[in-house]
Amino acid sequence: MTEYFEVHHRDGAARVGELRLSDPVRTPAIADDVTADAGSEWPEGRELPGGSEDEVTILPHRGFPSGTPEEVQEAFAPDYPEVEYPSGVVVSRETAADFGADVYVLSGAQGIVDHAEAFVETIVDVRESIPADSALYLPGVATPANVATLVYAGADLVDTDRAVIKGTQGKYLTSDGEVFLEDLEELPCSCPACQQPADSADREDCIEHNVNALRTELARVRERIRSGRLRDYIEGQARHDQWLTATFRRLDQQYAYLEQRTPLVRGAEITAASDDTLRRVEIQRFAERVTTRYRNRFDAPLVLVPCSARKPYSESRSHGRFHDAIQFRGHTVSMTSPIGVVPQELELTYPAQHYDSVVTGRWSATEIEFVADVLAAYLERNEYPRYIAHLPEDYLPIVERVEDRLGIDFEYTVAEHPTDTESLANLSSTLAGEPKYRKRERQHNTLKAIADYQFGEGAGDELFDDLRIESRYPKLRAHDADGEQLAALVPNYGTLSLTLAGAKRWLDSDVPTKRAEIDAFVPRGSVLAPGIVDADDDIRPGDEVVFEGPKAISIGRAEMSGPEMVGSTRGIASEVRHTEEK
Amino acid sequence: MSKPSPEVYEQGKGMDAHNQVMREIRGRNDKSYDPTEPTRVWLDEDNTPDGVYQSLTIILNTGGCRWARAGGCTMCGYVAESVEGGTVAHDDLMTQVQACLDHEKENADEESGLIKIYTSGSFLDEREVPAETRRAIAETFSDRERIVVESLPDFVDREKIADFTDQDLATDVAVGLETATDRVRHDCVNKYFDFADFEDACAEARTADAEADGVDVGVKAYLLMKPPFLSESEAIEDMKSSIRRCAGVEGCHTVSMNPTNVQKYTEVEQLYFGDGYRPPWLWSVAEVLEATAEEDVIVVSDPVGHGSDRGAHNCGGCDDRVQKAIKDFNLRQDPSVFGQVSCACELTWETVVERETGYNLPLAR
Repeated sequence: MTEYFEVHHRDGAARVGELRLSDPVRTPAIADDVTADAGSEWPEGRELPGGSEDEVTILPHRGFPSGTPEEVQEAFAPDYPEVEYPSGVVVSRETAADFGADVYVLSGAQGIVDHAEAFVETIVDVRESIPADSALYLPGVATPANVATLVYAGADLVDTDRAVIKGTQGKYLTSDGEVFLEDLEELPCSCPACQQPADSADREDCIEHNVNALRTELARVRERIRSGRLRDYIEGQARHDQWLTATFRRLDQQYAYLEQRTPLVRGAEITAASDDTLRRVEIQRFAERVTTRYRNRFDAPLVLVPCSARKPYSESRSHGRFHDAIQFRGHTVSMTSPIGVVPQELELTYPAQHYDSVVTGRWSATEIEFVADVLAAYLERNEYPRYIAHLPEDYLPIVERVEDRLGIDFEYTVAEHPTDTESLANLSSTLAGEPKYRKRERQHNTLKAIADYQFGEGAGDELFDDLRIESRYPKLRAHDADGEQLAALVPNYGTLSLTLAGAKRWLDSDVPTKRAEIDAFVPRGSVLAPGIVDADDDIRPGDEVVFEGPKAISIGRAEMSGPEMVGSTRGIASEVRHTEEK
Repeated sequence: MSKPSPEVYEQGKGMDAHNQVMREIRGRNDKSYDPTEPTRVWLDEDNTPDGVYQSLTIILNTGGCRWARAGGCTMCGYVAESVEGGTVAHDDLMTQVQACLDHEKENADEESGLIKIYTSGSFLDEREVPAETRRAIAETFSDRERIVVESLPDFVDREKIADFTDQDLATDVAVGLETATDRVRHDCVNKYFDFADFEDACAEARTADAEADGVDVGVKAYLLMKPPFLSESEAIEDMKSSIRRCAGVEGCHTVSMNPTNVQKYTEVEQLYFGDGYRPPWLWSVAEVLEATAEEDVIVVSDPVGHGSDRGAHNCGGCDDRVQKAIKDFNLRQDPSVFGQVSCACELTWETVVERETGYNLPLAR
């Protein structure tokens, strides 16, 4: 049972949580003042301490430094008792398991920092072996430069040990690395310890500054998690150190670990400033769903257009002009780095209207390859009567690649620039004679496309076979033939919120559902983790989930993943939108 | 007293694991050694109960420790330096002794008053050094003043000691006690005898002393500072209490407290390679010597490989100066020698002592 730790915000593997001590502590935090070490059992046997609500008692332990042979770890692995007070247990990569503690202290952390491969493999292993709602403490390793990455990987607690030791050695730490204090002409910080000329600062000042810098960085990281923007920070900050960059890249290769923890939607914008953005779960997931779940329902020719800085695209000036030229005679698909391709129905769907990229007119080889792969996969699944490319010159290498690969020919309509008069006239005349599709078809296809994207291939037709639409884009509402509402489009995220009627239809359909079994209670407002009996593995934060128990059926939006719902003893598992008593 | 042969040692999970690991690690070493050459020999100066002597130290190659064949101590690489096959014949052992005498003749102006013989095992174990050889060696050195022979406590026997006292040699048995804390000796060092066995060996030495007419017999305890798995502060405390407990045992007149160094083909080396082990700071050695200077026992220390990454070290800038102070202390037992050395890295060391724990070590390199 994790009684004294609760996760409040999640951002991928990073979390903001709370150590529920007599004086609560927000995590990720510095553990120095809130942990009490009951001592190592290597030199002597220890009594089980009485504990206190004021601090996390680290139970008597045998730490296994990095490099301890497995046989020795097995032979000396301590057995931890369950206690009634806030407790921490010392584990290693090999011995990590559920000991019913609130905090898991990783021994051997010294051997994995600075080694990206070992670090990533260890953290993933340990995090998967301990309960989701327990805090992971990496002792003795945090610096202002690495703490963002430690937390990004899944750490909840660190300490000031390394920052202080470095200070004693005259090493001045910042979020971009370390320098010898004596080499500094000025102190690049304005914390209290740095309110003096560089040449008068001594090692005590250096220690104080290092701790301040660590605290500052942790506060920054907590804020980033709350706003859902830690990854954007990491992509920039980690570049100051090779092992940190290698670490977040290697974590991207641990896709299952990150994907399980990455929400379906966020309010925050993605900063796409490097090729690393392409490896983000959100980007990969969108590309994967567009090329395996989505299906084009229009009969019109394909019109590929460039993305716009303004989102959603349809609100931009350039797309307004494209629209005026196309006049509902073509199916508009925007090409963009880092998203790939965005069919017009999904222009609201996260992250299609939630990113901002660096536009230079020069594409990197990685971007070209990624977008070409997505476009090719998209076109293999979706055939069109005609293929029109209304694109500026820098997009053409991508289209040409796809033409070669799939053996299809595009009609090109841009003279100089997509929005110049001649190009727009070309686009319009190229579509001459094509029939216009109607607004009703457009609205139906939009809701069905989002259903495909969100619930799985074919979901749009399964859920909305007798669709009637009310209200205006983007606030579309889906009703059945009898007028009962099934779902509403959430304009901010481009996803569907189901009603109970919609949820029941989902359950009755052949589409894979996301369900959780709850105890005998009637959810009001939210479902807490302890009320969950079981939950599907593939539930992700932000997913629509049906909660069913002996007393009620509810529909809501998940706050945590399915495995976390099952493994957690605290925290809100899901907000609940509608409940019906049985 | 527990039995010497590993096969009848009390079996335990931790011991089995350490042994299994050490056997596997030692198996990686494919070197073998010439049974007619000593492992090592050197000249030095040593403090003894009757003053400072020039000493001739001999590491005799006897085929090594029997315990190490089962796996053995986590820090000990000396077995790797022993001969293939296991036993060394009497003639070969005497050839080794002669090589040591030649070394002394070549490098010293006069004969050493003190002879120290180590085997990385037990000189008094007759399976390692036959009685015939022991007596011949005693005879060889009969013109010297003192002799030190290394042995596990189990083999300390008044009659064997008499072989030396009969030659009028004051005799010290060097016992690798490592620590007075049984738990640390067992779990961290993987050495399987108890402090009580050491006390028994000291009592046996007292008897030998009483039986030898006018010739002193005593025990010199060898302690190991900072075996694996201990933090710096735990290691310091373990040594302070060990020295105090040794001082309280009659018959034990000298303690040689030696920092762990990282030897090849050992579990300690595996930890070291994994960034999980750092030898003790020289400041820690100084701290222990200073804190126990008042005890009624001679305390000396010989940090092997001081200043190197694999040996006891500080920051690299002050290692030689602190080592010199330790050597000075060895001869004079005067703690004020440590007041004369200082370095900025003491602040780092103090922080390590204060903050290093069983789960965050090593905090500094």
